Amino acid sequence: MVRVKSEELQPGMVVAGDVKNIDGMLLAPSGCQLSERQIDILQTWGVTEVDIEASEAQAKARDPLAQLPPEVLAKITADLRARFWKPDDFGPVPAEIFKLMLLRQARRNLNPAKA
Amino acid sequence: MVAGVPRSLGSYGPVLKEIEEALQSPQCNLNSIGDAIQKDPDLTARLLRLANSPFFGFANRLSTVAEAVSLLGIQQIQDMIVASSVLEQFKGVPDNLVNKDSFWRHSLAVGITARLLAMERRLPKPDKFFVAGLLHDVGRLVLMLQAPEAAQAVFELYQCEKILLRDAEKKILGYDHQQIAAELLQSWSYPAALVQAVAFHHAPDSSVAKMDAAVVHIADHLVNAMGIGSSGEQFVAPLDEKAWATLGLDTDMLARLVESLDEQILAVEEAFLKKGARDERAI
Repeated sequence: MVRVKSEELQPGMVVAGDVKNIDGMLLAPSGCQLSERQIDILQTWGVTEVDIEASEAQAKARDPLAQLPPEVLAKITADLRARFWKPDDFGPVPAEIFKLMLLRQARRNLNPAKA
Repeated sequence: MVAGVPRSLGSYGPVLKEIEEALQSPQCNLNSIGDAIQKDPDLTARLLRLANSPFFGFANRLSTVAEAVSLLGIQQIQDMIVASSVLEQFKGVPDNLVNKDSFWRHSLAVGITARLLAMERRLPKPDKFFVAGLLHDVGRLVLMLQAPEAAQAVFELYQCEKILLRDAEKKILGYDHQQIAAELLQSWSYPAALVQAVAFHHAPDSSVAKMDAAVVHIADHLVNAMGIGSSGEQFVAPLDEKAWATLGLDTDMLARLVESLDEQILAVEEAFLKKGARDERAI
């Protein structure tokens, strides 16, 4: 799911959750494919952002973890965990840092020139 | 405590002395300070490389030491000279105890990261955090230089028991590299906040200068997590979440920080770790 600004909406995008106006009137139901007219309506009602279903291909392009073969991902995750002291005890901040390091490693695996 | 904290580390070298003398002279000006620095061509080359690196991001190329002094400031120049002279001491550390290049890359990276964190948090004088980060593990260096046998015993214990290096230090010595560094920096009459930052970089919440210690602690953790060089520690030691709270930054900024670190560290390593123009000292 991605959040898209109203002025950047394109016909054909799929809404990921009911879009309502300020009075709770349904403008576009979850799962509907937007037409040009519906985009006009949303903009007229002053909707600023809409949650849009990301296509699988788009989501994959954004997430380096999804681009790695599962066995490579498993290996870099295990290697990284082995470097950290007690990874099972991570609180929220260390968990966030670990996630970043995993992403960094994944990008390096995908693009070895940058490593 | 390790017998005899090395006084040799305490003398910043003749150049610093000359700068101090130049500063005290009534005729002091940028050129006289520049001249003092230029007596050491190796230092001059390093200084200019660093001043021209993206670490500082000046738009125009600096070609003279006087320019570098005027733009970076005396304090900054002195800090860089200290950094360089500490670096020289590594020549004496036995190779079997630590990979010196790796130790240096770790120290530099923590310095750079600490400075970036301080800038992000808009703390005053972010450059002092560069020095604190650079020197945070200097206690380990002192230990390896002054008591290589004890250092060896620490090394064996932590490898065999798979514990944190600082816990192995405490088991063997009764204290760790933080206290050694604190004594050394105090003997150099370093500012109290800097001594605190180094002396409590593993326990920032116990420091009286919580913010300073927290910055170095988090920088150390990030650099270890990124795996840039190593001070000999085999694990990424745990992050103190209280230190993160003290720093008061949002975790959203971490992705951006890690990215700019990867860029800056490469550039600064070039400046510091490249051999000097004149001689072939392995620095």
